Amino acid sequence: MSKGISLFELQQLFYKEVFDADSTENAEFYKCIKPAKNLSGEQSVNVYKDSILGGLTEALSSIYPVCVKLVGELFFNHMVADYLKRYPSGSPDIGDYGSEFSAYIINFEPVKELEYLADLVALEWSWHRAFNASDSPGVGVCSLDGLAGVAEVDQGGIQFVTTPSAVLVRSIFPIHQIWQVNQEDYVGDGIVNLDDGGVCLVVWRNAAFGMRIDVLSEHEFEFLQAVVDGKSFSEIATLACASDLSGILGRCMQTGLIAGFTLVN
Amino acid sequence: MVGFFVFLCGISMTEKRFPTVSNIAGAGLGLRSSHYQHIFETKPDVPWFELLSDNYLGEGGLPIVRAEAIRDLYPITLHGVGMSLGSADALNTEYMARLKSLADRLEPAYISDHIAWVSIEGQYTHDLLPLPYTLEAQKNIIDKISKAQDILGRTLLVENPSSYLMFNCSEMSEEEFVNGVLEQTDCQLLLDVNNLYVSAQNHGFNAEKYLETLPKNRIKEIHLAGYEDKGKYLFDTHGYTVHDPVWKLYQKALSLFGSIPTLIEWDTDVPDFDVLLGESKKAQKILDEVT
Ligand SMILES: [Fe+2]
Repeated sequence: MSKGISLFELQQLFYKEVFDADSTENAEFYKCIKPAKNLSGEQSVNVYKDSILGGLTEALSSIYPVCVKLVGELFFNHMVADYLKRYPSGSPDIGDYGSEFSAYIINFEPVKELEYLADLVALEWSWHRAFNASDSPGVGVCSLDGLAGVAEVDQGGIQFVTTPSAVLVRSIFPIHQIWQVNQEDYVGDGIVNLDDGGVCLVVWRNAAFGMRIDVLSEHEFEFLQAVVDGKSFSEIATLACASDLSGILGRCMQTGLIAGFTLVN
Repeated sequence: MVGFFVFLCGISMTEKRFPTVSNIAGAGLGLRSSHYQHIFETKPDVPWFELLSDNYLGEGGLPIVRAEAIRDLYPITLHGVGMSLGSADALNTEYMARLKSLADRLEPAYISDHIAWVSIEGQYTHDLLPLPYTLEAQKNIIDKISKAQDILGRTLLVENPSSYLMFNCSEMSEEEFVNGVLEQTDCQLLLDVNNLYVSAQNHGFNAEKYLETLPKNRIKEIHLAGYEDKGKYLFDTHGYTVHDPVWKLYQKALSLFGSIPTLIEWDTDVPDFDVLLGESKKAQKILDEVT
């Protein structure tokens, strides 16, 4: 029964036909359509299906090029197919799509042996987000020039703010090396020893739009994690990183990783 | 902290800022990211560029800075797919707010989207999907265009789609649907001549007759692109030079509507800039012949 079907119902049926091939309602959808003059109903629908699924797959391969290189394009497409069905895109900005790919990979049986893959994918997602992040911290964040004006009694309440692009990533594998040897412009023997151990990283964009992956010490990572978690200066002073706090803070302010501060009571 | 890799993507940017451009003329080009550098270096003679608004929705970074640098050199328009005007869903106000702030930043001559839907129940396909041509769907899109215009504080241009299927429940033809939308809103039409040709061929309707029904003073922009002939149907890939029958239909459109600003779109397998430039020169020549 196609007459009398509402716009909402029709669009729901269309969506289901594309993303859920097994839906029992798909037969209903085919009753509603009039294919292009030389195509069958299925062929007409497939033009849309291929275009939608192909477009989403392409979006994911452009966010995760190293992953594509590691598993091969064919396998990547296979890996993505089920992701597309299970994780609908909830934003009109296709750049928002693919955030859960790392979590999805952890449970994707065929790549279980590539233990580092989920972390590497998380690194690629961080790069993607950092590339498009806001240029400056939000309203209400004081610039670092204002630090000198904070009275000594208030200094414990300083809450540092990282530059909006900064994303912290850590892994028990040397994912930064895996990432590097798979870049187009990489020159070298391409050997990465997985036994090299874990790494703490910050992915971010500097003021000149330069994309960076910086390797952090444990203390630097702890400090930046505390900043991201909104810890105040007095709280940070109780952490292990406090032993080198002025050095870490100085470097982070100089590079621009720490971009401002707010004051809490 | 060890500086590990640094990727500097510096571009030379001009300080000069042209005043707001309220109009465009001539044959422009769709801006594609692979051409930024070439454009900044050679400042080619192109009357205007169309930017894909959905590529500049990030909060910051290089893309938007490049867009501003292009805007400082050329008049621009913004073209997108994200409004999902034909969807039964309400307008996505968060998206509209992002689009408005982009428009406020870039000051385009026009903002356009499509007579189509891309999402339902908040789930996005990121593809332009066909509408049933019913009164319900028409009223729905009219309401949404009006709301979108209210939010943006500007008149929208809406584009006719290319399609590969129609619906049995349709109560009118595509041209009746489009004309109704134009009659009942104050939006304008972005006439995609390639889309019209593709749909007319796929469904077997007369593209010239379609053109003759359109209101002359409501067409503010034309799109041209290259389809792919798949044998049993034409596929709107935007991956080729404009085909002869589309040039012919374009001439017919200009004879009816006058010298309408025209844009060359190219989205798949984007070639060297000069190939696009050649296409826009070809369109410009045809435009120049219109009296
Ligand atoms: Fe178009």
